[in-house]
Amino acid sequence: MGHRRSTWVRYLLLTTAALVFAFPFYFMVVGAFQQAPTNSPESLVPTSGWTLGNFAAIDARIDLVRSLVNSLIFTVGVLLGTVVFGLLAGYAMARLDFRGRGATWVLMLLVQMVPFQLLMIPLYVQITRGFGLGDTYLGMIAPFAINTTAVFIFTQFFRALPQEMFEAARVDGAGELRILTSIAAPLVRPALVTVVLVTFIGPWNEFLWPFLITKDASLQPMAVSLANYISNVAQSTANPNGAILAGATALAFPVVILFVLFQRYFTASDLGTAVKG
Amino acid sequence: MTAAPAAGRPRLRTRLLGAQPIGALFALPYLVFVAVIFAYPLGFAVYIAFHDYFFTAPGVDVPKPFVGLDNFASVLTDPQVLQSFRNTAVFLVINVPLTVVLALVLATALDSGIRWVAAYRVAFYVPYLTASVSLVGVWMLLFSSGGLVNSVLGPLAPNPSWLINSALAMPTIALYVTWKQLGFYILLYLAALQNVPRERHESAMTDGANAWQRFAHVTVPGVRPVTTLVLILAIITGANLFTEPYLLTNGGGPDGASSTPVLLIYQQGIQQQNPDTAAAIGMLLVIVVGMLSLAANRINREA
Amino acid sequence: MRFVRPLALVSIGLLVAACSGGGDSGGGGGDDGGEAAATGPIEIWLSNNEQELAWGESVVEAWNAENPDQEVTAQEIPAGSSSEEAITAAITAGTAPCLVFNIATAAVSGWVRQGGLVDLSGFEDGASYIEERGGEGAQAYAIDGSYYQLPWKSNPVMIMYNKTIFEEAGLDPEDPQMASYEDFLAGAQQIVDSGASESAIWPAPTNEFYQPWFDYYPLYLAETGGTVLVEDGEATFDSEEGRTVAEFWATVYEDGLAPKEASTDDAMSAGTTAMQLAGPWAIPSYAETVDVGFMPVPTSTGTDDVYTFADSKNVSMFTTCENQGTAWEFLQFATSTDSDGQLLELTGQMPLRTDLADTYADYFEANPDYVSFAEQAERVGDVPSIPNSVEVWQTFRDGYSAAVIFGTTPIEDFLSETSAQVDELAQG
Repeated sequence: MGHRRSTWVRYLLLTTAALVFAFPFYFMVVGAFQQAPTNSPESLVPTSGWTLGNFAAIDARIDLVRSLVNSLIFTVGVLLGTVVFGLLAGYAMARLDFRGRGATWVLMLLVQMVPFQLLMIPLYVQITRGFGLGDTYLGMIAPFAINTTAVFIFTQFFRALPQEMFEAARVDGAGELRILTSIAAPLVRPALVTVVLVTFIGPWNEFLWPFLITKDASLQPMAVSLANYISNVAQSTANPNGAILAGATALAFPVVILFVLFQRYFTASDLGTAVKG
Repeated sequence: MTAAPAAGRPRLRTRLLGAQPIGALFALPYLVFVAVIFAYPLGFAVYIAFHDYFFTAPGVDVPKPFVGLDNFASVLTDPQVLQSFRNTAVFLVINVPLTVVLALVLATALDSGIRWVAAYRVAFYVPYLTASVSLVGVWMLLFSSGGLVNSVLGPLAPNPSWLINSALAMPTIALYVTWKQLGFYILLYLAALQNVPRERHESAMTDGANAWQRFAHVTVPGVRPVTTLVLILAIITGANLFTEPYLLTNGGGPDGASSTPVLLIYQQGIQQQNPDTAAAIGMLLVIVVGMLSLAANRINREA
Repeated sequence: MRFVRPLALVSIGLLVAACSGGGDSGGGGGDDGGEAAATGPIEIWLSNNEQELAWGESVVEAWNAENPDQEVTAQEIPAGSSSEEAITAAITAGTAPCLVFNIATAAVSGWVRQGGLVDLSGFEDGASYIEERGGEGAQAYAIDGSYYQLPWKSNPVMIMYNKTIFEEAGLDPEDPQMASYEDFLAGAQQIVDSGASESAIWPAPTNEFYQPWFDYYPLYLAETGGTVLVEDGEATFDSEEGRTVAEFWATVYEDGLAPKEASTDDAMSAGTTAMQLAGPWAIPSYAETVDVGFMPVPTSTGTDDVYTFADSKNVSMFTTCENQGTAWEFLQFATSTDSDGQLLELTGQMPLRTDLADTYADYFEANPDYVSFAEQAERVGDVPSIPNSVEVWQTFRDGYSAAVIFGTTPIEDFLSETSAQVDELAQG
């Protein structure tokens, strides 16, 4: 009996929370297909005024395919750098005793703590003037190439793995790179998925940096072209909400798909057997 | 601190380079990245904070004298700056505990073998991936003077309303950020829960522990390293709050009650072109956040 | 037209200009005369406003057809504050284009201090061209007699109102008779009492430095007959007129005629407000949704021929430009009588040149909606060209917000304290 009640409580809790969380997405999608969406309670459940016009307007002004490809190049570049080098660094930080580890940890905290607004102009000067990377994909990717949050996540997950596992592998004579790739990394697969999902969002939604670094419209990722479009529509149209929500929907859609595809990889890897075996 | 020294290696080398010096090689790409991308701008920001500085076009030579702690003195005596740090404190006190507790509870509920878990996960992740412009629209719909929350509350609605009430603006933003970021932390905890060995739960169950006891004695200790991570990340993102006061309360309104240090950095450093005082605010912020993160690290380790 | 005299500027602006590529001698833009005379391809940035873009593209096309060896390439940058961030960063890195056709006066002093802008008076016919085109008023855009921007176009701010709501509230939509504060407040009260709309007027009560330009400042210029916020390095608003305007807005907020919260929608098209302060850009925006009328901003006594805020956007040349000769030629081409006429036609914004109504008589005959703006464009004041301009406006806004919008500090204190702070900042 008690078990059944706690299951009920769980479902109630989760469903309420899910509704609260899914609400903005609902609001965004519904508004994107409305002629004149407003931020008033009455427009929550619209019965009329449906249109595809908001998307048609975006499509007329922005080369969606081109900016989507740019977004993908930007994002995949960041993901590659983050997963490969982040995994290496995270493993070293959690499991290897080397000189300078403490200092690296402090450095990681520091990188996280410094607000981007403070570094923006010097960084821009360095990348355009110092490295000559203005209007290039590399210049766009560089500041995000290894996501420090991801290194943190890897570190903490490797730390949570049982120590005896690593000792056993080392006694067997396995090299560190082999331990990482064939033992440790598979065990933190949920963390890997998490890292991909959280890293993806950063460059995908990032507006300010790619906007600064690219003036050439054919290089701009979707977040930048949509922001340009929105700022333009917002000042020349009486009711810009439809355009804004349609833009946000177009930007969010690929991420939702990605999430739905990826999230089944969350399933537990059975740690218990891994340790015993 | 984790790895025992491997047998047979010369002790001097171990003391100099650590037991597994290959770790330095693993961390090297990241360190190079940080050196190339962050070291210069960061060093520059520190330099700026101690000078009477502004950005000039290439080739323009203007004296930018060393002024010692002047910028820090003027920042520390600026009531706006002090207010923004107080606002951040209010934010953190509400946001951080709420984030940790809600994220862990929801993740545990999700992990307990229920149906439609995929749909729930997608729902929780959605605010995190939705662009701020539409989220802010939703929040306005809820919390503006004529919004849903006030219509439900009726006569109990606060006057002035949430976002223009100097006592409520910051707490409202704290709630908003908790809601927006929670999906990310739930993901972190979900991943961490996969690594808590199922047999520990099973043995606790054989010992007659109920759901709450298992949560307190198996789950919470099992995810401790990730809790440290969540604490630190929540503190850091909270302290770097910018988009929300910029968009939601339009530049830290009402009357500065929701301004934050990073908003001031943006106003002074970029809009008003006074990077020197902005850098001083930045340095202070980094010091405060650094101390908080270290404290969080320590407290969670001892608990 | 009345503008302030060129301001005595005690800043390092001049110093910067002297040692940068700006140049302050007859040699023009470059100190060696090389860059100033150089011709060749140039790059320009345009605002991304759709109508302005269409104008820019056609002007560029016409130029390129005639000057194939001096090709102009145009790129769009977002309007609004992010364009200023982009320009600041580009100046610092030396990646700025030759010309930007979207310069807000408030940002100019900072860029001059950076050494990023070319003194257009350095060109042989620089000052004379600007003054001939813009008339006496152009001088208000100079810093110590040097033009770092060419005053290009204005959007004179007027009161835009919803005729349907006015009629419902029992006000005459063709002649609302709201020119004096007393009448304005009475009319506003009538609108709110009648329930025709939630609020009478809805300026954004938010904290951005530029918001005073769309609430306090137009009324202040009207009340003082065109006195700008800072004259000769001193704040002017700690005065009888300054207080009258502040008290007027305080009454508006206190009586609930304007909300203290930003609108979540466009209040005008959502019908939640009856009035808004706006320029001619608003006419095409509302053409299909709201039946709008325009009247000058009110003054305490309801005088005729009032002044207002110009809300101008200007053109600047950047010191990194290699072919400044071409840039200067193109700038003249793009601001010629013909190009200005095209701008008026495509965007409805008022070129900042003398005698608009006569020069483009045909246009105004065909578009009577714009006549009142053309008349108003004769009587405008702008953001003064002073050091620390953005900081001055932010300081002003912070004080105003506390005293006038939220009523937490006395208006007297706001005027005296803020004006003392502004004095200090404006000294440079």
